[in-house]
Amino acid sequence: MSTTASRSAGTRLGSVAPRLIAPLALAVVLLLFGALSPVFLTGDNLLAVLAQSALLGIVAMGLTFAVRAGGIDLSVGVALDLGALGASGLISDGWVPWVAVAGGLFLGLLVGLVNAFLVVVARIPPFLATLGVWFIGTSVQQLMTSGGAPIYLSASRVPDGFAVLGRGRVLGVDSAVFFLLVVVVVAALLLGATRWGRRLTLSGEQARAARLVGLHVKRLTVSAYVLSALVAAFAGVLLASRSNGFVPGSGQGYLLDAIGAVFIGSTLSRHGRASPAGTLVGVVLFGLLGNGMNLMGLSFFWQGLGRGVILLLVLLLGVLLSRSRKPRAASLPPGMVGGLAALAPGKATSETGGERAASGTEHTAPAIDHDDAAPRQEVPTA
Amino acid sequence: MTATIAPGNAPAARTVPEPAVRRAGILRWSGYGVLLVVVLGFSVGAPAFLTSGNVSTILAQASVYAIAGTGFTFVVATGGDDVLRGGIDLSVGATAGLAGTVVAVLAAAGTGTLAALAAGLGAALAVGAVNGAVVVAGLRPLLATLATMGVASSLDLVISSNVKTPLDGALYDYLREGSVAGVPASVALLIVVALVATWALHKTSWGVNSFATGDSATAARVAGLPVARYTWTSYVLCSGLAGVAGILLASRLSASVPGIGTQILLDIILVSTMSAVFSSRLLVSVPGTVLSAVFVAALSNGLTLLGVASQWVGAAKGVLILVVLAAVALRGRKSS
Repeated sequence: MSTTASRSAGTRLGSVAPRLIAPLALAVVLLLFGALSPVFLTGDNLLAVLAQSALLGIVAMGLTFAVRAGGIDLSVGVALDLGALGASGLISDGWVPWVAVAGGLFLGLLVGLVNAFLVVVARIPPFLATLGVWFIGTSVQQLMTSGGAPIYLSASRVPDGFAVLGRGRVLGVDSAVFFLLVVVVVAALLLGATRWGRRLTLSGEQARAARLVGLHVKRLTVSAYVLSALVAAFAGVLLASRSNGFVPGSGQGYLLDAIGAVFIGSTLSRHGRASPAGTLVGVVLFGLLGNGMNLMGLSFFWQGLGRGVILLLVLLLGVLLSRSRKPRAASLPPGMVGGLAALAPGKATSETGGERAASGTEHTAPAIDHDDAAPRQEVPTA
Repeated sequence: MTATIAPGNAPAARTVPEPAVRRAGILRWSGYGVLLVVVLGFSVGAPAFLTSGNVSTILAQASVYAIAGTGFTFVVATGGDDVLRGGIDLSVGATAGLAGTVVAVLAAAGTGTLAALAAGLGAALAVGAVNGAVVVAGLRPLLATLATMGVASSLDLVISSNVKTPLDGALYDYLREGSVAGVPASVALLIVVALVATWALHKTSWGVNSFATGDSATAARVAGLPVARYTWTSYVLCSGLAGVAGILLASRLSASVPGIGTQILLDIILVSTMSAVFSSRLLVSVPGTVLSAVFVAALSNGLTLLGVASQWVGAAKGVLILVVLAAVALRGRKSS
């Protein structure tokens, strides 16, 4: 089992290259649109991009928790909607700001608890469980708004304390940008520097090992889904404040971009692990791309195409680059390598690293890395 | 992420415990049981539910989802049912929408029916070929098809200029209103697709090999199967059937509606993944997909007949589906 130190320089470059693609794509987008449009690279425009992508960023941070825990949360859009619905509903009923915020977050908490119940207790696969919650949440919104009527808050009825959340300025930047940075820092600290974060990572990547060493995998999973929904609901509260109201179904648009951003971000990690910093890179990449295409005068119709192609290219390059280096046999349990080599001599060991491993990008390759905080163990397969 | 253990290990996480084969009969039929209870409940509550006219309406509504879902089932069977790393095609809805739009726009421009159909199916197959190639190259299917979904739905908007395009013509009218021996044309099309797909996936060595690939790509490769070819084919088939479904949908609506792809995506995923409910080993299947599509269509139809407000239909659908899934998941746990 090789450590970083014992790898040859070439291998090291090979293992770093796939991780540089997302930042490189970011640089290419910056330079390309910077050359094409004079306003693109101005500070004002870049800050505006950040402000526009702040809500997506916050939602994606929530999703990062769920993905890190080995699941996925398709209901973040619904959590965002319900957060916005709760907050704007309470404000329009004349409640004070903090009650509205708490109400919005409470609805998000409910979504998270339902998700966690379905995944942990009912043992429904996360994708389907959160898909079901999406259906239900969409319906709940319609019921709570008597058939999908938007809530509009007239500016005079919005207390300053609530308006400042989405439209104020903190330390010279948009409050949404400020909140995004707070969420990123808190998420990075939670996941990277706490025992909870390391345990969550372990239970997400090696659920069986986590259970064997005595971790409460169920509790960790519950916390991930609850956090995911809470963070998304917080984005919803900001959206309500920013747009002075609530339009049913406005959260769905965030979901696919958030998934894309989280997984673009995961190419930054040697283990293909979702991280707040990586997610931020993905979010900013999408934000710059959309803004650049707007400045170029490309219609909304083409933007999905641009985004899809970039997503595809970044991920494809990452896979191809990580594939070109030699797949390490260390990623297989020893017995399996021997068995496969015996069955198909010659090609087997290099081949087996291929398909499944490649489909998970690189996180199959480095099985053991001592510089990583999370304990990683090889478990015999069931 | 469990894949850290070993490449071939993903199937270890699958809910297909070995003793499942020996499981008692009652639990095994729970999927059908729920279906029966729902149908009985509706027919008691709403006498119009089980009339032949209404049944054929339900079947016609189900046909689009069942056909697209069948394609999706191929992908899940060949790629494995782990959602994050296994086979999935998020672009299936957008592909269906794109095919419908291409056909409608060409038909409106005066192109012949055959050429329009060929172009629509060709567009769908092209998406499938890209999906398959990218997945074979090693991208996670979830992400690869997320990207192609964006591309396909964007092309849909570009080609249609985001306006509804009416679709008229003998063939399309026939698909909408015609019938074969008393069976609506769309249902007849569904029956043909379902029979061929059932035969291909469940009765041929190609089908067995596909399931083997999905169960463990490593084992399949060691056994000498061309895994890449099976994977690629499954995505092309999925997009092809999505194209058929999209053209059928546009015919039934007499128009192509931009953006309809994203609306039908969830239902397609649902009917395909729910098909595992009807299998004793919790594997997806073509007959199960068709049954699930009928179940979902019957649910919406029955709830509407019972006079349930449309806002409740989505919630009721979601809850019932989750109950079914939970029943299956708990059933799987008992034996593991």
